[in-house]
Amino acid sequence: MDIAHFLDILWLARIPILKGLGFTISISLLAICFGTLLGIFVGLALTYGVRPLRWIVRGYTDFIRGTPVLVLVLASYYVLSTIGLDLSPFQAGVLALAVFCSSHVGEIVRGALQAIPKGQTEAAKAIGLTFPQTFAYVLGPQALRQVLPAWVNTAAEMVKASTLLSIIGVAELLLRTQEIISRSFLSLEFYFFAGFLYFIINYAIERFGRYVERKTAIPS
Amino acid sequence: MTNRLRVAAAVAAFAMLSSLTAFAQETKSKLDEVLARGHLVLGTGSTNAPWHFKSVDDKLQGFDVDMGHIIAKALFNDPEKIEFVNQSSDARIPNITTDKVDITCQFMTVTGERAQQIAFTIPYYREGVGLMLKADSKYADYAALKAAGSAVTISVLQNVYAESMVHAALPEAKVDQYESVDLIYQALESGRADAAATDQSSLAWYMTQNQGRYKDAGYGWNPQTYACGVKRGDQDWLNFVNTALHEAMTGVEFDFYAKSFKTWFGKDLTPPQIGFPVEYK
Repeated sequence: MDIAHFLDILWLARIPILKGLGFTISISLLAICFGTLLGIFVGLALTYGVRPLRWIVRGYTDFIRGTPVLVLVLASYYVLSTIGLDLSPFQAGVLALAVFCSSHVGEIVRGALQAIPKGQTEAAKAIGLTFPQTFAYVLGPQALRQVLPAWVNTAAEMVKASTLLSIIGVAELLLRTQEIISRSFLSLEFYFFAGFLYFIINYAIERFGRYVERKTAIPS
Repeated sequence: MTNRLRVAAAVAAFAMLSSLTAFAQETKSKLDEVLARGHLVLGTGSTNAPWHFKSVDDKLQGFDVDMGHIIAKALFNDPEKIEFVNQSSDARIPNITTDKVDITCQFMTVTGERAQQIAFTIPYYREGVGLMLKADSKYADYAALKAAGSAVTISVLQNVYAESMVHAALPEAKVDQYESVDLIYQALESGRADAAATDQSSLAWYMTQNQGRYKDAGYGWNPQTYACGVKRGDQDWLNFVNTALHEAMTGVEFDFYAKSFKTWFGKDLTPPQIGFPVEYK
C-alpha cells in the first residue's frame, strides 16, 4: 500500500468526502430526531393508550420492526410515488429511517416506562398531578435513565443504516467513497477510511450519550 | 339564467374540461413533456469507470453520460441541459417504470426478460470479455495463452459463472477469482496472474489510464449489447431517442460520438462510409 499515493488522492477527493460526510450526518440527525420524537409517542401509546389505539400502534411497531430497513427505504421511494407522494431520494430516505427509528425507540420507551413501579404513578395521582405533569416530572426523568444506553445503540444503528440510502442514489458517505474508488481503484484504502469516519460519528454519539447519562444520574 | 341551468352549464363545462385533459394526457408524449420542462432527466450511476463516474472536480462523466449529452443536444441544442438521477444498477428498471427518469443509460445489457418490462433503444455499444496482458508478458497474444494450456493463470472478478466464462476462451487455464477490479489488476501487476479477464470496456479504460504498461490479447467473447431504456408504450419518445443515438453513430453527431469513444475506450473510429447508407450493407 502506497501511503503517499493514497494521501494524494484523498486530498484531491476531500470536497466530495466532506459533502458525503455532511449528508450522512444530516440524514442520521434528522432520522434520529424525528424517529425519537415519534418514538416517544409510540412508547406512550403502547403503555398508556386506550385499547384500540394500543392495538394499532402495536401493529405499526411489529410491522416496522419486522421489515428490513432496505425494504422500508425502497418502499418509501417507490411505493409512495405510486399514490402521488413524490419524495426526493433524500426525503424518502429520511422518512424510512425515521419510521424505523421510531418503532425501536417506541419499544425502548415502553420498556423503560413499564419498569417504573406503579406506586410512582399512584403517588403522582395522589398529589393531584395531571397525566402530562406526571409524565414530565415523575415518569419521564426516571425513564430517561433507563432509555439512554439503548437509545445510543439505536442511534448508532441509524448511522449505519444510512448507508442503505446509496441504493436510491443519495450521495452519502458510502456512495461518495465508491465514486472515488471507481476512479482510483484503491478500494481497500478508501473503504477503511470510510469505516474510520463512521466510527468517529458513532463514537461521538456514544460520548454524547455518556454525557447525558452523567448529567441525569442520581447524585450519590 | 336560472340556478339550475347555471349548475348544468358548470357541470358540462367541467366534464368537457376533464375529457379534454384526459385526451391531452393520452396523446401527449414524453417528448413534449421533456421539451416543455426544458431539460432531460437522465438516470445513470456514478461508480463505474469509464461508463458513469465522477471526475476529480466532482462532475459526472463517462460514455453513458455522453449518450445523455447526445440526447440533450438533440432536444435543446445544448448538451448540458440534463438533470442526473443517481441510481444503483438495481434501480435502473424501477426508476423507468415509476417515471423517476425520462431515460436510463447505465451500461444496461439487453435481455429478453428486461425487454418485457421496459423499451430498449437502439444499441450504442457491444460489450464483451477481453484479456489484458502486461506489455512485457512472455505471452504475445490470445493464441499464445491458449497454447500454453494449464500453465496460464487468469485473474477474474468473483462470480458464479467466472470459471466457465474463462474456460469458454481458455479451456485449460487456471482461474483465480478476486473480490474487486483493482485486485484482479494487482494480481496481473504482481505476476500472480498471467492475464486479467474482464469487460473489454474496463480493460480499455485501464489501458488508456496506464499508457504502455499493458496490452490487449486481441480476443473477445461473451457478447452483450448495451442500450438505453425508456418506459414502454411511448413510441414517439422511443423514436426520438433512437434517432438521436442513430445520428450520433452514423450522422451529424458522429464526431461527438467518436470523440467520446476515443476518450473512454482509447480507440479511433473510422467515419461511416459516405454514399450508400451503412444500415443496408
